[in-house]
Amino acid sequence: MPTLTIDNKTVTVPEGKTILEAAEELGIVIPHFCYHKALGAVGACRMCAVTIHEGSVKGLKMSCLVKVEDGMVVTTSDERSVEFRSRVTEWQMLNHPHDCPVCDEGGECQLQEMTIAGGHGIRRYDGPKRTYTNQDLGPFIAQEMNRCIQCYRCVRTYKDYCGGRDFGVLGSRNRVFFGRFKDGMLESDFSGNIVDACPTGVFTDRTYRFKSRFWDLQEAPSICTHCSLGCSTIPGGRYRELQRVRSGINEEVNGFFICDRGRFGSSYVNHPERQRQARSAGETVSVEHALEQLAVEARRLIRSHGSEALLLLGSHRASLETNWLLNQWARELGARPPVFSAHGGRQATARAVAASKAPLASLEQVRQSDFVLVAGCDPLSEAPMLAVALRQMVRNGGQVFVYDPRAVELPCEFDHQAVTPLELHEFLNDGGADGKHMRELLQQAKSPVLVGGGDLLGAYGMVQLQSLAERLANAERSCLIYPVLAGPDSYAAGLLADDRSETLLERLESGKVRMLVCAETDPLLESSAPGRIAELLTGLEQLVVLDHLPTAVAKDADLFIPTRTPLECDGSFINNEGRVQAFARVLEPGIPLAQENQGGHPSREFSTTTPGAEPWAAIEALQSLLSQNLPLAELRARIVADVQHLQGLAQLEAGHPGYQLCGGAIKASVSDRLPEQPEGSLQLIVSPARYGSDLSSRYSEKLEPRFVGARLQMHPLDMVARQLQEGDEVTLDSDLGSFRLPLISQPDMARGCVVVEHNAAQTSLVPGSGVSYCQVGKEVTRD
Amino acid sequence: MNDSTQTTPVGLLEEEQIADFIRHAIKIDHPREMIIDILRAIQVNHGWVPDEGIELAATILGLTPLEVEEVATFYDKIFRKPVGRYVIHLCDSICCWSLGGEAIAAYLQEKLAIEFGQTTSDGLFTLLPSCCIGACGRAPAVMVGHRIFGHLDEQKVDAMLDELRKEASA
Amino acid sequence: MNETPQLLFKNRRPGETVFMEGYRATGGYTALEKAFREMSPADLRGLVKEAALRGRGGAGFPTGVKWGFFPADAPGVKYLVCNCDEMEPGTYKDGELLKADPHQLVEGMIVSAYALQTEVGYIFIRYAYEPQAENLRRAIAEAAAAGYIGKNILGSGFDFELHVHGSAGRYILGEETALLNGLEGIRPNPRMKPPFPAVKGLFGRPTTVNNVETISNIPHIINGGAQWFKDLALTPDGSGTKLYGLSGHLNRTECFELPVGISLREIVEVYGKGVRGGKRFKACLPGGASTPYLTPAHMDVALDFSSLEQVGSRFGTAGVTVFDENTCMVAVTLNLIRFFARESCGWCTPCRDGLTMVRWLLETIDSGKGIPEHLEMLKEQLKNISGNSFCALAEGAMGPVAGLLNHFEQEIVDHIELGRCPLRK
Repeated sequence: MPTLTIDNKTVTVPEGKTILEAAEELGIVIPHFCYHKALGAVGACRMCAVTIHEGSVKGLKMSCLVKVEDGMVVTTSDERSVEFRSRVTEWQMLNHPHDCPVCDEGGECQLQEMTIAGGHGIRRYDGPKRTYTNQDLGPFIAQEMNRCIQCYRCVRTYKDYCGGRDFGVLGSRNRVFFGRFKDGMLESDFSGNIVDACPTGVFTDRTYRFKSRFWDLQEAPSICTHCSLGCSTIPGGRYRELQRVRSGINEEVNGFFICDRGRFGSSYVNHPERQRQARSAGETVSVEHALEQLAVEARRLIRSHGSEALLLLGSHRASLETNWLLNQWARELGARPPVFSAHGGRQATARAVAASKAPLASLEQVRQSDFVLVAGCDPLSEAPMLAVALRQMVRNGGQVFVYDPRAVELPCEFDHQAVTPLELHEFLNDGGADGKHMRELLQQAKSPVLVGGGDLLGAYGMVQLQSLAERLANAERSCLIYPVLAGPDSYAAGLLADDRSETLLERLESGKVRMLVCAETDPLLESSAPGRIAELLTGLEQLVVLDHLPTAVAKDADLFIPTRTPLECDGSFINNEGRVQAFARVLEPGIPLAQENQGGHPSREFSTTTPGAEPWAAIEALQSLLSQNLPLAELRARIVADVQHLQGLAQLEAGHPGYQLCGGAIKASVSDRLPEQPEGSLQLIVSPARYGSDLSSRYSEKLEPRFVGARLQMHPLDMVARQLQEGDEVTLDSDLGSFRLPLISQPDMARGCVVVEHNAAQTSLVPGSGVSYCQVGKEVTRD
Repeated sequence: MNDSTQTTPVGLLEEEQIADFIRHAIKIDHPREMIIDILRAIQVNHGWVPDEGIELAATILGLTPLEVEEVATFYDKIFRKPVGRYVIHLCDSICCWSLGGEAIAAYLQEKLAIEFGQTTSDGLFTLLPSCCIGACGRAPAVMVGHRIFGHLDEQKVDAMLDELRKEASA
Repeated sequence: MNETPQLLFKNRRPGETVFMEGYRATGGYTALEKAFREMSPADLRGLVKEAALRGRGGAGFPTGVKWGFFPADAPGVKYLVCNCDEMEPGTYKDGELLKADPHQLVEGMIVSAYALQTEVGYIFIRYAYEPQAENLRRAIAEAAAAGYIGKNILGSGFDFELHVHGSAGRYILGEETALLNGLEGIRPNPRMKPPFPAVKGLFGRPTTVNNVETISNIPHIINGGAQWFKDLALTPDGSGTKLYGLSGHLNRTECFELPVGISLREIVEVYGKGVRGGKRFKACLPGGASTPYLTPAHMDVALDFSSLEQVGSRFGTAGVTVFDENTCMVAVTLNLIRFFARESCGWCTPCRDGLTMVRWLLETIDSGKGIPEHLEMLKEQLKNISGNSFCALAEGAMGPVAGLLNHFEQEIVDHIELGRCPLRK
């Protein structure tokens, strides 16, 4: 490895690194605009000039382009380099409108920083400035092209990295424009990344426009809650309002970018209907009072009706600590172990993943892989940043094969086999010639990864995938699995679940449950059979809900305890790859000032408390039920003492990449049978919509422009066979009931299937039940 | 969506040309290389490339309109705004400039009563500045279509305009 | 009057284009026959190296050396691209050549492709040269009909297809990697080097890009031999003839085929028939808009690559643009900078914005509004733009600015002191 000297400091870095990267190792930040760690060096801005004194090239050079050499001597702050960089700043500022006072980027603007750092305070050029007419890029991104310094980061992010095809570079010379063919909403599901990538105020978060100055914003490292990937985010709030989310950096997981669902999907925190006060039998009570009531009643219930009378329900939305505390509370009460997902199928799948002996890949390992088989997963819906990761591996020469019944789209080249779920299971088991060929390809691959969509594969499919991975491992390398689960803490829910415990449905159907305590979950929205659950809930004596989302169940609960969102408290999640990551409190709960005063002056009613500050962190609430109040670190130490498998949790810090658990510490009993297909039926695929399937995005009004209606997709040949036409209102009959849905023809999906999206407009059929069947016809066929 | 791609705007390309381009695009490994060919063909037929022309090229090549527009807007000789029947590209580079190109520019503007970038009210002439047109030995010169008019003076400009007008009315 | 052996302009007649019949009549395609029947690709590459042919597109890189880097024996598709995007002001030689004798280039392309074992060739031609492109299409069709293009040429087992690719008008396409992007149908910004086109060029495959005049010389080298070709030049390290395009304030502004190494004086006085109106020679661009000025002190400098480098200029494309004593060199430089600023592709800051700054400075000085600080700023711009841009465009743009500051600084000072152009009344 070459050793070189930069500013009199010596550093040894791997061959192939650039001077700029080597300097970074030394903590020397060479000014730059176009270089970006994820996007690479393109040599456009010329800001990163340094002087090379010893080396095969000498003199003023761009540090992002020159590879390190042994014995190289470089200075970054010599007179020549500084002089040149100040010229670059002057050039970049020729056309700049100097509108920092009204620019949303002010205070976090790289151009502003470089201009000030470079001492460019006086404008010498007094020629005309080029100006542009801006485009309307839709509700998420505001464009102000006059501020542009043409670093090309936006297109490199949008097009090259994320694969969008409706945004690019137009014009040339000193009139280069970055935008769309015509006005309109950016189509990519990763459009918001251009806000983070832009080093100045050309692209800013339109939903955050004119809301805050960066220095006024309360920010903290957090973990995205919109799918199971656990991308790093940095939400920002002010005046009790969650105002924006930007991407955090976790090179093991999301890298530098996030998806639009994660970026624009956190306004649920500010939801105007959010239940901020505790309620008992319709009366507002204090949280303390509600918790005391709960503690007393739970204990009494167990005493008088036995361990099965109380059912504690955890969730993949709740933190690891919350879920673990539920377990503790159940133990303390002598209740049956909690159920950790309202959805039996999703819980079994998560359990199967947490029990996997086959090693799990990190998202970075997916990016580095040369061959990925995606089985039963639609990344853009279930795990958007996985789609971007797949794009990177394809850009590096890798190959992606997708076996999925849906018309899967990806922002890269890939091979799609539209197979039905039954065919998919068959393919994973053996799959005849095709399966054999695929296994050969996987065997030849240097770093193969099997991506499995938990919702479609179910626990059975996950086990199939694990056994395939074990078969494909050899002495030189393993075959990694990248499971996609339902929510940010699905893995933990699976890990903590009691292997023998029944599902929510089974427990309720036993008729023995008198009190159900839902910790950050709504079984009417998140279970496998919302209709049946609704019937069963009416048989309860008491429904207790701890939550921050204003769902129907939260509003109807007999006892309601408001909890803080993950942005209002500390905690941790375990993502789909078994990575434990911490999130930190961004802001204190409270009714956003803008909401409270309806846009007028601050409230004239004076009080010493913050309006809407009542919600407790679920872990505080549960600790109080356990009559304890441990600081987080101590609580985590207790968790580790209980679940040794989680070793490392005590040292966890928010903003750090987290650590991946070793699998195989628990066992999962998985049924090895698939339900038989009734004659003449179609296989039913309930698929999460890209927006509004996960509850936090559904309750985020910022994302509404992306919501679509309810619809049923079918292959055109299946439609012909049933004499159906696009646009028909059809009836879908399944075990879960009968539903009317508009029909859409989808030639790229598998035959013999229907696909129903799960979103705000269709909440009755929830993904995650594995293989199931339905009948579809024009008429209502059931009595 | 289907409607807009299936009806070809009138006068952009002949049906036969479209079919030829599609056939060729299927045949070759990198159909993108045809972008300029298609845009120039549209321009021959239609004079300039309207939005529908960009969309048509995108459809033929399996690209997004943006991807075509990125290329189209780079070039000077792809017109994304309406132009007159004759586009007069007046060379303003050094050789023509040194031999009175500026005077010819002024004279043309006066005669046509338009400024650079404008089109005469009869729709006949558009005047555009151009970089070197490779007629340095015949400076000052203009290019109209692919014809070069060189060694220009006021009389020759008059003669050129007369010739083009006559040609247009023929 | 012109006693130079005419190679490239052998068949040139006013207003005429020679096609297959005429080309054959003067020995056309004999080089091709010889190459395919008697020479191996390696022989050909060796011959070109020996002939010391230097690229005629402006940079003057030795063609044989460039070909030596080319992985001719590597399997898979490889490309030969001819750069006919002749757009440097003052340069019109390739256009003249193709007006007169397109088969020369076609024959050159075929034998060069054979030498480099590239099975596909493109001639990338500027928008303004559509008539020349038509000539080439016809010549290619004729060559194909004669069996010189297509499968198994002359039984050699070598296949070659040749395409003409029209552009749509931008100077930057003359930069070879920008040209490759343009050919691919993506935005024609120059590419990062390395990888060089010989490794990863058109469509990611090994590619060589050569100028029209360069390639057109190859058949003549095959016919005449390396030593004969070298001896055509007047200077010892020169080689071959060169097409000199004359323009500006000369009595005759035509394109001539003359030896490499001819003196500027001979160009001006003999071939240009002196400066117009009996005026005195003030300066010239020796090889296109990007080459620093020569002055009366340089009248006896030999026009070849090394001699001009020694006097701080470049041979470039040998498009000689002459300015008489009444010409304001600030205004000339401003015109050139306007050209380069307008032709910037917009990729890197020094070119896109730096040239804008230089243009503004020269406009300010030219209009008489300059202040002494502007002269210092101009020097500062020259120092910082030169050598620091992504490709050679801004570097070339600074050539005239360097010439202005080296030879005509007083003229700038006069503008500033007088508050007007000293040459305008």
